[in-house]
Amino acid sequence: MTEKIAHYLGIDFCGMSLETPLVLLSGCAGFGEEYTRVTGFSNRDVGAVCLKGTTLEPRLGNPPHRVFETAAGMLNAIGLQNPGARYVVDEILPDLDFSETRYIANISGATVEEYAEVARIFDASPIDAIEINISCPNVKEGGMIFGNDPAMSARVVAACRGATEKPLITKLSPNQTDIAENARCCIEAGTDGLSVINTVAGMVIDSESGRPILGNNQGGLSGPAIKPVALLCVHRVYQVAKAHNVPIIGQGGVTCAADAIEFLIAGASIVGIGTGLFYDPLICPRINQGLIEYMDRKGVDNVRALTGTLRCNSPLTV
Amino acid sequence: MEKTHRATLFVEEAEILARDEFEGDQIILRVAAPRIALAARPGMFVHVRCDPALPMRRPISLMAVEPTDGWLTVLFKVLGHGTRRLAEKNVGDVLNIIGPMGVPFQVPPDRPRALLLGGGLGIPPMIFLARWLMQKGERVSHATNPSLNNRQQPIDSHEDSDRRELVSAALGQETPFQATAHEPLLLMGSEIPFPFDLCSSRIPVSLPDGVTAAMAPMEALGIPSRLASGRGYPGSFQGFVTELAELWLRTQPSSTYREIALYACGPEPMLRATANLARRYDLPCQVCLEEFMACGVGACAGCVVPVTTPTGVAMKRVCVDGPVFHARDVFL
Repeated sequence: MTEKIAHYLGIDFCGMSLETPLVLLSGCAGFGEEYTRVTGFSNRDVGAVCLKGTTLEPRLGNPPHRVFETAAGMLNAIGLQNPGARYVVDEILPDLDFSETRYIANISGATVEEYAEVARIFDASPIDAIEINISCPNVKEGGMIFGNDPAMSARVVAACRGATEKPLITKLSPNQTDIAENARCCIEAGTDGLSVINTVAGMVIDSESGRPILGNNQGGLSGPAIKPVALLCVHRVYQVAKAHNVPIIGQGGVTCAADAIEFLIAGASIVGIGTGLFYDPLICPRINQGLIEYMDRKGVDNVRALTGTLRCNSPLTV
Repeated sequence: MEKTHRATLFVEEAEILARDEFEGDQIILRVAAPRIALAARPGMFVHVRCDPALPMRRPISLMAVEPTDGWLTVLFKVLGHGTRRLAEKNVGDVLNIIGPMGVPFQVPPDRPRALLLGGGLGIPPMIFLARWLMQKGERVSHATNPSLNNRQQPIDSHEDSDRRELVSAALGQETPFQATAHEPLLLMGSEIPFPFDLCSSRIPVSLPDGVTAAMAPMEALGIPSRLASGRGYPGSFQGFVTELAELWLRTQPSSTYREIALYACGPEPMLRATANLARRYDLPCQVCLEEFMACGVGACAGCVVPVTTPTGVAMKRVCVDGPVFHARDVFL
């Protein structure tokens, strides 16, 4: 990483010093090493990697099919397949190279107590931060059920806050009436940062068989199709979060530097890359370069200066 | 931990060198991809970007590779948006492909007679394997193939010990196959016209009279092949490819069964029937599976299939734990 890139792209997020404002999103980057199979890919191109969603006990996840392409998007229902928090901490984290990037655990539970227990397990590990997933649309218990109720969301965050000193980031669901109110409750409960947004609940149906295509019947939509939804959610959450200096990971359908910049303008401090990685595993250096070119052109010397610079139009009067 | 899995997949901007179209919207593309062609083994696949408007790549099995000239071929049928866009590509167009992906077929040295069953779009990996088995000497040793070292932390902890043995057996298989060590017999089934030139075979195979139609390119290489179809194509066996396989097995002295291994790729009912056949004749059988796929590198767990392991059922990723599995582990 050249000094110039660090100067433009280096950013502090929830107390973590990130090399770039890009984060590989949970569920898209495995447990940190999978994408390094691809020649040219490097975890050094991103500020952080969010590891796959982890629960207290191992989970098999949902039956196939688990993924399906939709118009400008992808529907998935993985169902939190994971080997359990203990295994992740004991067997996977020791093999990660923490000199390359920051690693963020992503935790889920069927109960408030399970969330806290998983947070406690990661608290005693080298993990850099913990993302609380209260917005997974693909599991029967926990996940979105907590995330769509602000009071329940706050209980989960408070329980995790009591279990760890590490930075806590709460991942919010778009599948609720008032995401900004939920954000406010999570901030009051002690979250340090917010991830906006998780996938949008959806379904695909095979007209010939009359059955849903996904084994789980429903899934979560990601990709360019949800970008406008995500941008509005980031904008609305930012109105609440900025007063508390709680930063946002903006995410949903980012496939190029312009997309990333839109999220920053809407109020994100850093930007998540998920489905875009499937299409182009080498997307991150390309976005980093595009960010630098944009900042050069706009006379901006650090990516921080872009956050929340949205200039809304005046309401139309007739 | 030594990170031997790193940089084992290549992203190539692959120019289309040749394009052949066959009845039934079947298309064969030959593309320039030298790094993938060099590392690829039978059973492996490439992850193809079909169109900028489509967010997901499509996994497509390799049918042939030519490491010296740096190209590979794939066969696909137009089935949906992705393959339709891919079918619109012409010679000179460039495809972004990643590969070679997946764990290839493992050929047990003590099973020199290889019975290969390909059904429909499952035919390509069988063609690749048949050619691979017939290549004389000069084989790059498995031990130097980095793609075999690319396994890493499982998404779940139910590690399959059999699978580990299978991979380590391949890693230890440093000696090139001997000139006549493997005798493949390639049986193919299709309910649409076969996407290659046919001929009447001169290579004798213990099958009923009249089953003489063969795949001309295989025949030219000296590889015995036969065809099965319910459509009554001349020279083809009228029925399922698995029925044809059983007819052949019945002609073999049972004392030779211990030399035979089954390999199969095709639609699920065919693979299930193949697994049953293997069980009845007590033959080892590997099947090559497909599933909707997102990342292709083991990161998303989107392409899993339920697999039986010594510790119970595990969800294994077709992209990195497969696509080749033991039939007995996926078809109970």
